[in-house]
Amino acid sequence: MKAIDRFPKGIYLIDFEFHPVDHREGNPPRPVCLAVREYITGRVWRYWGDELQVMKEAPFPCGEGALTVAYFASAEMDCFIALGWELPLNLLDLYVEFRSRTNGQPTPYGGGLVGALKFYGFPTMESAQKDEMRLLVLSGGPWEAEDKKAIQDYCQSDVDAMRPLLRFLYSQIDWLRALHRGRYMKAVARMQSVGVPIDTDALRACIENWDVIKEKLIASIDSDFGVFEGQTFKASLWAAYLERNNIQWPRLDSGSLALDDETFRQQSKAFPQVAPIRELRSALSEMRLASLTVGCDGRNRCLLSPFASRTGRNQPSNSKFIFGPSVWMRSLIKPRPGFGVAYIDYAQQEFGIAAALSDDLAMQEAYRSGDPYLAFAKQAGAVPLHATKKTHASEREQFKACVLAVQYGMGAEALAQRIGQPVARARQLLELHRRTYPKFWRWSDATVDEAQLNGRLWTVFGWEIRPSHPFNPRSLRNFPMQANGAEMLRLACIYLTEAGIQVCAPVHDALMIESTLDVLDATVTEAQKLMAEASAAVLGGFELNSDVKIIRYPGRFMDERGELMWNKVMGLIEHANTKPLAECQG
Amino acid sequence: MSDLQPTPKFDVSTLRLPQNFGETLGVKKLITHIPVSKPGAERFFRAHPSVSMQFESLIYEDKSSRDVYVVLPALGDVLGRLAKPVVLYLAVDRRGNPFLIPVPLPGPNGSRNPWHESLAMAVEKSKTDWVRIAANMTAGVYDLFVASADLPPPEWPDMEMDAIVQTAFGGKIIDTIQHPVIQALQGKV
Repeated sequence: MKAIDRFPKGIYLIDFEFHPVDHREGNPPRPVCLAVREYITGRVWRYWGDELQVMKEAPFPCGEGALTVAYFASAEMDCFIALGWELPLNLLDLYVEFRSRTNGQPTPYGGGLVGALKFYGFPTMESAQKDEMRLLVLSGGPWEAEDKKAIQDYCQSDVDAMRPLLRFLYSQIDWLRALHRGRYMKAVARMQSVGVPIDTDALRACIENWDVIKEKLIASIDSDFGVFEGQTFKASLWAAYLERNNIQWPRLDSGSLALDDETFRQQSKAFPQVAPIRELRSALSEMRLASLTVGCDGRNRCLLSPFASRTGRNQPSNSKFIFGPSVWMRSLIKPRPGFGVAYIDYAQQEFGIAAALSDDLAMQEAYRSGDPYLAFAKQAGAVPLHATKKTHASEREQFKACVLAVQYGMGAEALAQRIGQPVARARQLLELHRRTYPKFWRWSDATVDEAQLNGRLWTVFGWEIRPSHPFNPRSLRNFPMQANGAEMLRLACIYLTEAGIQVCAPVHDALMIESTLDVLDATVTEAQKLMAEASAAVLGGFELNSDVKIIRYPGRFMDERGELMWNKVMGLIEHANTKPLAECQG
Repeated sequence: MSDLQPTPKFDVSTLRLPQNFGETLGVKKLITHIPVSKPGAERFFRAHPSVSMQFESLIYEDKSSRDVYVVLPALGDVLGRLAKPVVLYLAVDRRGNPFLIPVPLPGPNGSRNPWHESLAMAVEKSKTDWVRIAANMTAGVYDLFVASADLPPPEWPDMEMDAIVQTAFGGKIIDTIQHPVIQALQGKV
């Protein structure tokens, strides 16, 4: 279909230049200028910030029959929200479409507009020149007339560059699904604008006392491990600790222990006893506290970086986002007076997705039981049908570990360590999984065949990966669960934000929402209903359950994995400090 | 001003793409090996309820190599008591692995020893339930255990019985007196 027929009211390529209000990261954007180019006619409009501030709506059609196009559109939508404009009905994000087309393949020039243009061989501004202009915009002015013109020219150069890119991609675009992805970019902007409420007093106390408490923190946590020398984590001492505790640890091709945070993250799931060291290393490795981007209104806002990971999940900055890897810092989340927050996560999301998409009825029945781990043990004939979580706790733990091991692609040796049982028992459990859920395993095997023979996998709403050699069968096998999980959360974000619920942030398989205390419970019920609807839409009618944790002012959020560290930090601050922080204890 | 613009009611589930990976590829597990044996003590199994999936035969088991041979009826006399008349039942375990269970037929007087009798009963029961057997040396029978969980039905191989027998005994058919097994039993090699 021709562009004019599909969008008779026009296709508007847009780009804003902006900087954060008061030049403080974490604050909403202040638009500096806007450039608009109509795709079909080529007509251009340019607006300076003071003109934009007085407009009540976007200066181009945003309703039915019109299309708005941007590159990394959530930033443009941030500006719409900052200006109080209605968001466009139809939004196409060329960044997302470029990511979708190249996911899994090398993109030597990066994923930005310049990278996409170079990838397809279009002429473009050099990155250095672009950086120079960005700095000029971020300086915040006031700008001389000449600088203003340079900024507007620069802004227009982006919409000019998008035109050939759109022309090139136009016929390849899967329009309905692309607009669905665009709809998510609007939800992203809404969530970025809300942000997460932070206890700024506690944050300040942490930052001010950090140097004093760092040493004591190491001493306090390392006393159980003995892996630090001074303030330095020693790989040799870590190796000795692992050997003492009979913990298998992934190694690099060189044979050295893998010591990156991702390895620690994965291993912490299998061996929770190593989690405090991960927390400590994470806290020490960067000045994470100061990196957290908190606006003047005490809210953590940062780019959620939608579609950045291969599975299509968001990938916000680890140090800027409160839900980064330092889970103890999440205790800084505290609702404002009169408000509450709720953390709602899908229950056993990966298991539920696997059950629904593989159409394994036994697995679906296990999910529907509300306790898939115990149900698996029953289905495998390992516990009687009347068994409960109480009467067969240890068996349930083993079957739970087995389900998680399958999800993480863990072998029998690692599972054996995790459950403290002989390898033979672990093998038996993994075998039971295969026997109990044969349809799931056939589908899972076929997923790897599909990726290797046809060169691609896709989600229910068309997010694709074209894996390049060498294939990693474990991640290919896991792709449908992770990537459809991402689809589900995206749809939930869309539903909730469009229903007017204040969504503070998406977190892997969970959402944090905020509301005034008087309607908090009703809002949570509505949010859970919408999340269930999103799961059913992704899974062809199969609904997933969700769990909820509600925090009412003056309570604070607490992630149990970080509770020990948080309490240690608070205790040390109180010891070292001038200012009592008893109210911060979890 | 609110940024909320009502999105026209649109059923996103109409965008759903199938997740039937591999369906168009026609990748099939090829069954190249079908053991002929009694199921082990830890193996739950089901026997096919249809008579068409049973096969009456004479078999000879080489105890040293544990190889099982089909013996043509005409050569039964040559092997004497070493050739046993059995019914081979198609069975599968929980992973869908097929195997043939040889159940000895009753002797001329119509009776079987307790081991064989209990095996026959187990196979009969396995036509409707997931069962496993374990040797009870004191009683001289196979104990029968029936799974109490509501387990999914067995998945049968997409093969005719002829093809199953062919796969199970490929290269192991004693069809001539010159067969190396007979030659060896007669001390001719």
